[in-house]
Amino acid sequence: MADKRKQRILIADDSEMNRSILADMLGDDYDIIEAENGKEAVAVLQKQVAQIDLVLLDIVMPEMDGFGVLRAMNDFRWIESTPVIMISAESAPARVQQAYELGITDFISRPFDAFVVHHRVVNTLLLYAKQKKLINMVTDQVREKEQQSALMIDILSHIVEFRNGESGQHVLHIRTLTELMLKQLSQMTDKYSFSKADIALISTAAAIHDVGKISIPGEILNKPGRLTDEEFAIMKTHALIGASMLEALPAHQNEPLVRRAYEICRWHHERYDGRGYPDGLKGDEIPIVAQVVALADVYDALTSERVYKKAIPHEKAVQMILNGECGQFNPLLMGCLKELEGSIQNALEKKEVHDWDDQNLLRNLTEELMQREDLSASDRTLYLLEHEREKYKFFADMSQEVQFEYNVSPPSVTISEWGAKHLGLDEIIMDPYHDEKVLATMGTESMQKLAGLLSRTTPENPIVEFDCIIRMGGIERWMKLIARATWSKEEPPVYTGAIGKAIDIHETRVKMAVLEEMAAHDTMTGLYNHKFAKMRIQDMMARKPESNFALGIFDVDYFKKANDTYGHMFGDQVLIHMAKTLKRNMREGTVSARVGGDEFLLFFEYREHVDLAINRIFNSLIGTYESFPISVSMGVAKTQMLGTDYDTLFHAADQALYAAKRGGRGQFRFYDGDSCETLSLISPIDSERESAAENQAGAGTGGKEAESAGVAGGEKAESAGTGGGRDAEREEDPSGR
Amino acid sequence: MTLQECYAALEGDYEGVIGRLRTERLVQKFVLKFLDDGSYDLLTRSMESGDYDEAFRAAHTIKGVGQNLSFNKLYESSHLLTEALRSKNIEAAAPLYEQVKADYAQTVDAIHAYQASL
Repeated sequence: MADKRKQRILIADDSEMNRSILADMLGDDYDIIEAENGKEAVAVLQKQVAQIDLVLLDIVMPEMDGFGVLRAMNDFRWIESTPVIMISAESAPARVQQAYELGITDFISRPFDAFVVHHRVVNTLLLYAKQKKLINMVTDQVREKEQQSALMIDILSHIVEFRNGESGQHVLHIRTLTELMLKQLSQMTDKYSFSKADIALISTAAAIHDVGKISIPGEILNKPGRLTDEEFAIMKTHALIGASMLEALPAHQNEPLVRRAYEICRWHHERYDGRGYPDGLKGDEIPIVAQVVALADVYDALTSERVYKKAIPHEKAVQMILNGECGQFNPLLMGCLKELEGSIQNALEKKEVHDWDDQNLLRNLTEELMQREDLSASDRTLYLLEHEREKYKFFADMSQEVQFEYNVSPPSVTISEWGAKHLGLDEIIMDPYHDEKVLATMGTESMQKLAGLLSRTTPENPIVEFDCIIRMGGIERWMKLIARATWSKEEPPVYTGAIGKAIDIHETRVKMAVLEEMAAHDTMTGLYNHKFAKMRIQDMMARKPESNFALGIFDVDYFKKANDTYGHMFGDQVLIHMAKTLKRNMREGTVSARVGGDEFLLFFEYREHVDLAINRIFNSLIGTYESFPISVSMGVAKTQMLGTDYDTLFHAADQALYAAKRGGRGQFRFYDGDSCETLSLISPIDSERESAAENQAGAGTGGKEAESAGVAGGEKAESAGTGGGRDAEREEDPSGR
Repeated sequence: MTLQECYAALEGDYEGVIGRLRTERLVQKFVLKFLDDGSYDLLTRSMESGDYDEAFRAAHTIKGVGQNLSFNKLYESSHLLTEALRSKNIEAAAPLYEQVKADYAQTVDAIHAYQASL
């Protein structure tokens, strides 16, 4: 194995001097990585343990000491493939012993001797290089051997199958059915528990259950029609013959595969009630694996076509077995069969396709490996993993997301490089639920929420998602957390941790808030727009249905004239001036809005003397702007009289305004229900209203309207018009208090 | 001033260090580098603020470096201080700390003098 890469040594020591002395002693022959405390060392290992050939480890270090590093290396099982030489002046025998127990290879005590350091490092590296090479060789050989023996078994069982004139799928079916039954059995009862490896071994052994038929004459095996008693007696010998063939393999008696195959060959025709052959075993005297294969064999025999019979449909076959028509079986296995009834056929069909795929994959992989002889399979795996790691890191960095991986045991979280830097956290954090920095960043509440959500996931529904606030360097930001719980592949699945990411959604949320704000306001005056004001007003009334509210609408008298005379720019400035004046003079809690053109709205809560409050605001609005005299007309509606339906209120205020206009402008009026009802014009545009009001005033009906507009309208409006009502400001204004 | 004379002035073991580090060039490099080592500052700060865990680690580091460079006198006093701090014997640590201060000053003075003569 030609290796041009320099061997890589990680030196973990808190003293820069000591690291430097060691690095100098080792010279340029090695690629040196330094870590100044235990946590850093673990982080380096986490990232590139496969590339680290040796660790030189100090004991006394801040953050995490050398023993902490060794414990982490044991937890993650790195210690099995990465040698550690402890370096320290610590020579208390108990400490040295503890270090060896945690798996260190050697111990170098201070003061360092260049010669000693160099030789220990070289020796340890040599030893491990040999060991790694051996492991690779053994792994490859074992894999080759397993593949070869699986192949041999396939060939063997196919020979038997063809001789029996079976469908060609029988062996495959027996394997699949055995596998299904064993899995189901492990789930349904504590009495038996089969690991994945057990199941693979047993179903392989099941393939040769009929190997003894090799010695049964072909005429009997393939006789169409019923066998005579004599012929059947010969047929029955295949069980014992198969068993003795396996017994005749003296060198392999202790191989688990051979032992299981023996049980299966000999006893796969026994029945639970003792009526089977060859030994007439009863109940649990029959090894469970033989019981399983017996059931599988019967099912497949029933559902397949043979020279002496037609195929029986799946449902009928299951029913026949459950009815005991093919001999008695273990009630537990009958239970399994019932459970599997719906899925057997599907599994058998799928398996045929899958196996073909697997074989194809295997062939491609083998070809690939043959072409690259310099790579052993294990090195190739490492190469692929490294490639994946680089790819992952690149995408993680590009995505600007905080990505993380959480392990339940040992409790630890690994954060992507970019994420850790961004959050100001370490890349690897042991026991994150108790880590102060993590808790400060994420907040105890969000941590508990995440833990709670994850613990309630299932393998089918593993994803959790929620928004939370993350603190980074004292700044809070909104982030969306998405995590996927990971579950083990075993049965039942075990929760092993989670992977996930946090996406910064702060800008989006802030932008949304700004947009909402923008959508709520009139762009020119900065007051609310009508739509938003309506929402606010409805909300206020709904919150306090018992309170009294007043809704006022006013517009600028002769505004059209201002526009026509001085231009629209000037008109706009007048409107802005009005908005400013209104804002300056209204009490806290008052809602104000521009509802269109030169028409403004205000809305407030009052206790009593609403007329004084209106009067005060009305007076504050009149005056001059750039020598343009400003007066307003205002209509007011009260919930006390009209209730809390917004449109009714608005309509009423609009009509009162109309009345104020017709009454000669420069005044305000309260809607009183009588006078205004006659008006049918709803919110006419300014010019129409102006001219309509002028016409009516000219017709001499204005006076009457003004009188009938009630207390506030008549008297106050007049005094307001002359500016005499300013003393109202001294009065208590109930709005918004 | 030769490196050997420098070691005599700081009461170290010149033969020992040459035996281990092999070349005078390497010894010289690390002796001069010792001036930049932050462990003594850390020791002073943590002793004064009463952070004895940190002080222990700093003393331990000085001891290790002293041992590696065969600064025997400084090694001895920092070794004693390390052990006192390890067992949290603050009373015993106080005079030992004074001794380390004196030995450190002596060591640094000798190195400075050597550096000036280069």
